[in-house]
Parts: sequence; C-alpha cells; structure tokens
Amino acid sequence: MMRMMRLHAKALAQLLTGLLAWIAVTLVASRPAGAVVTGSIFGPGTQTIAVAVTPLVPPAGGAANAFGVEFARVLSRDLEFSGYFRLLDPRTFVQGSGGAADAIDYVGWAAIGAQEIVRGTIETSGDTLTVEAHLFDVAERREVGEAGRRLQGPRADLPRLAHRYADHLLEVLTGERGPFDSKIALVSRRGGTLKDLYAWTFDLSAPVRLTQEQSIVLSPSWRPDRRGILFTSFRAHRPRLFDVDVATRAVTAFTPAGAVYLGGAWSPDGSQVLATREQDGNTDIELLDRFGTVMQRLTDHWGIDVSPAWAPDGTRFAFCSNRSGAPQIYVMNLDGSGVRRVSSVGSYNTSPAWSPKGDRLAWTTRVDNGFQIVVANADGSGARTITTAGSNEDPSWAPDGRYLVFSSARGGWRTLWLTDRDGRTLKQLTPGNGDDSQPTWSTRLD
Amino acid sequence: MRPSLCALSATPRYALLCVLLLIVGGCARRASGPRPGDAGTGGVVEEGLGPDDSSLDLARQGRTSGEGTVLRDVHFPFDSDEIDDASRAALDGNAAWLTDNAKTRIELEGHCDSRGTVEYNLALGARRARAVQEYLVGQGIAAERLTTNSYGKELPVCREETEECWARNRRVHFATGKQ
Repeated sequence: MMRMMRLHAKALAQLLTGLLAWIAVTLVASRPAGAVVTGSIFGPGTQTIAVAVTPLVPPAGGAANAFGVEFARVLSRDLEFSGYFRLLDPRTFVQGSGGAADAIDYVGWAAIGAQEIVRGTIETSGDTLTVEAHLFDVAERREVGEAGRRLQGPRADLPRLAHRYADHLLEVLTGERGPFDSKIALVSRRGGTLKDLYAWTFDLSAPVRLTQEQSIVLSPSWRPDRRGILFTSFRAHRPRLFDVDVATRAVTAFTPAGAVYLGGAWSPDGSQVLATREQDGNTDIELLDRFGTVMQRLTDHWGIDVSPAWAPDGTRFAFCSNRSGAPQIYVMNLDGSGVRRVSSVGSYNTSPAWSPKGDRLAWTTRVDNGFQIVVANADGSGARTITTAGSNEDPSWAPDGRYLVFSSARGGWRTLWLTDRDGRTLKQLTPGNGDDSQPTWSTRLD
Repeated sequence: MRPSLCALSATPRYALLCVLLLIVGGCARRASGPRPGDAGTGGVVEEGLGPDDSSLDLARQGRTSGEGTVLRDVHFPFDSDEIDDASRAALDGNAAWLTDNAKTRIELEGHCDSRGTVEYNLALGARRARAVQEYLVGQGIAAERLTTNSYGKELPVCREETEECWARNRRVHFATGKQ
C-alpha cells in the first residue's frame, strides 16, 4: 500500500511537474519568434517584418477592383518606406482578400515566408469608400485585433485611406503613429530650368507643380492649416515672401514691396512668421504677424543670421549665424533673449530643423566639399551624422518626430530621400530627373 | 539690338537708335507697375527698374549671365565677402570704366558657389554685393548709380563640382540695363 502511494505520489509529482512545464512553455511560447509584438518599439531598419498586402475585395465577394488594388499599392509603399517591413511579391501570394478569416491558409503563407497578412474589404456607395482592413499574424494563426480598422472617405481621397491605415499599423507595431497621411512641399526644377514650388504625397511618383513663377522660388513653409504655403520668390526682382493658396494656386504677396526677405517660417500655431530680412548687405531675423507686418527685430548682429526654425512650443527658435566666424546653429527665445550656440562639431553648420516632438534638432553639416545631415538633442548634445553617401541637405522632420525628409545629390540628380532620426532606414522618395530641394513636411492631414 | 548693349556703346553714331530702342523698351516695361498686396496668379511683377540683362532675366531666356567683358566679374574666397588683391584689380578697372561712362547705372549681383545651403548663400551674396558697392562708392562712384541684389547659389555660370567652377561662381556680377 505504501509503495502504491509512493508510486502515485511520484506520478502525481511528475504530472504536476509536467503541468507546470506545459504552462511555462505555453506562456513563453505564446509569442513565438516572428510574430507581431504589439506595442514594441524598435528602430526601422534593424529588423523587418515580412508582410503580404492583399488587394481589398468588395464585401459581397468577388475579385479585387481598382480601388482595392490601389489601396494595397499605396499601403505597400508606405510600409516599405517605413523601414519596418519587407513587402512580399504579390505574384507569390497563396490567397487573396476574399473568403472567411477562418479559411486563411496559414501553412501556405508561412511557406512563402509571410509573417503578417493584410486583408480586407472596400465598398463603394455613391462617392464614399468604406474600407475594413485587418492584419493577421501567420505564426499565431489569428487576427491582430487592435490592428483592424474601418476607414471612410470620398473616392478622391482613396490614397489617404491607405496612408491612415499605414499610420495605424505603425502605431500598433511601435507605439508611435506613422507620418504618411501628410504632404511634403518642395522646390524643384522638374518643369523647366527655373525653380517652382511643388507638392508631394506618399502615393505619388513625381511631385505636382503648384506655381508658375517664372523666377526663382525658394524656402517653402507650410501654414499649419496646410491651406497655404509661404515661400520666397524673385518675381518682383528682389526676394520677397509670398503665399500660395494650395487649393486655388493663387499667389499673393505676404511681405510688402520695398523690403527684401530671404525666407520665412510659420509658427506652429499659425499666428506669426519668423523671417530673414536683408538690408544693406546685412541679414537679421524678424518676427512678423500673420499679415506680414513686422512686430519685432530679433537678431541685431553684423553677422549673417538666417534660416529660423520654430520649436514646437513656439517659445524658441533655432537659426544659423556666422557670428562666430563661420555658420553655426544657435537657439534664441522668441523675445530675442537667451542666444546660445548648439552646434559644437564641424566648421560649417546650417539649415536647422526642430523636431515636432521638441526633443531633437536636425541640421546640415559640411563634410569635405559635400554636406551631411546631423541629428542632435535640442540642446545640441549627442550630435550624430546620420547620412554618409552623396551630398545631403535641408532636413525636415515628419510629424511623428521619427522620420526626416532631405534633399540628396547622388547619382547625378538631386531628389528627395527619407531617413529616420538614427539614420538606419534610407529610401528614395522622388524619381530621378529631379533637382528637388528644400523639402518641408506638413502637419498630419487630420 | 538689345537696349542693354546701348549702355556700353559710347559711339554717338548709334546713340539715336539706342535712344529710340530704350524709349520703346522702357514703355513696354513700365506698363506693368508694382502692385502691393495682390501679386496675381503667375506672371512677373516688376518692382522698380531692374536691369535688362540681370542674371534672372537671362535665366528666364535659358541663358547664363557670362562673366563680364567690359565690366568684369569680381571674385571672392569661399564663405567670404572679402575683396582680395586680385579682385581689387578687377574692381579698379570697373571703377575706371564707370567713371568714364558717368551715366551708366549698374546692379551689383552677389553670387555664391554651390556649396552651402540656400538661405545662407543668399545672405552671403548680399554681403558680397554690398562690399563691392561700398568699395565703388569709396572710389568716387555716385551711390545712386548702384543697386544691389543677391542670387545666392541659384544662378551659377557653371555647374561642375570642381574648384575651378566654384571659384567662377563666387562673384559679384555687374549687370547693366536700361539707363
């Protein structure tokens, strides 16, 4: 009897051990390698997730239509640009978006290397499109619930539905919403030999022209409501600031005749403009109200003071000055006080840009005879050069404070490129035959 | 014959023809006066009297400005508005011509090489133009004959990424025009 009890005890112990082990293994293995770890944050470019984006189908079934195909195309581009994903070739797909979720062939998807699948429906009703998009994890064989989204908008805004979903997927994956539902304004000579203002969104190939100035156009700055863009034009022989209405393309003067301005930047709240004024060979930074009237002169120095860049809280700005003998980056309070230099490495630093998160600055630094992009903390510490190939200038931050767009001359053309603040991801945005420069990233569209 | 050439011609023979051309050219130009406030949609709003052969006007025609035959370009070191000895020689030559042709009005255009960013180079070009203006006034040229402008690195005479091309672009160009 005692031996029986000992045997039973031993079996029970073994059973309990096995049970505990099974529980432990199940807990540990509930996130097998390769699955989406929701809410994790890792830099783009360190590892990529293999994703299959299937064209959306009508809710009633049937093959994907043009809207569904286009949604998938734009979403795929955004995910590719983000640097977090590797897009699988649609020609290898084992299934489309049709059919029930419980009919997903996870084995087949795994066989082509997919880790995530985007599926969904798109419905047209009058002018309104309704998208239901879902993300499925191959290893876990289930939907990632928090990644499912219902999006609605007019037909003409189809690309925005895809951008919004891409931004949402990035939020689910990294905790930070993506930047793709936004616009980039830039200067380009694509239309001829003289520069004009252009706009670009992530679903486009080439930028769209906004002005026909027949002169030199420089230094665009988005008004925060994105309805207007402030820019410098030589149309009146000497540079002045003008505003272009994005919807009507009407150009109106912003600064008055008789004053020379080299560039301007809208405040984050759209109430003021910091502008570079030139008089008698000297440049200084002025504060203007939203009608272009001078309120205050902020720098009063014999040196070159240019390129003001607002801090997102509107209380300070960065600028470029050669008051020390060569161009460096400085920060000043909006009342003109507290000037301090923030660039400490390199002999030539220009074009500051302040992250919308407030925590970082980017600028252009001269290296040999070319230029590279630097990212630093807002006080200038921790400066790192994040580009190496080609000559790279004029960084502008994305609304998420993670990505930057800049102008790069490599391979003979100057085009726009995307990177992240650690310089790990690198993607070309605009096609060759460019001469694209001075990009500026808008706020998010909603 | 372009009116701008008239400014350089000291020959009385063509004076009448030049005057006629200038009158005709001047009338056409003055038709679009400055309009503060509304700059309209497209088109060029001329403000004041810019020279006919400004680098921008030439660029609109798909041409570059050239580096000056009678009035030579004045050159500068990198990131500098300092007039060195070689430039002083060119400037003195230009000043002598300007003294001999006392009616000629000049726009001093500041330019930069392609290195350096857009706004900084606009400012540097303005300093270069100002430096030349001050020098010429110091040589006795009446200030009202001289205007300044800066194109930064926007209107280069060459685009090669070489020391030689960069040096050519770091300049103040003398643009003449209707007088």
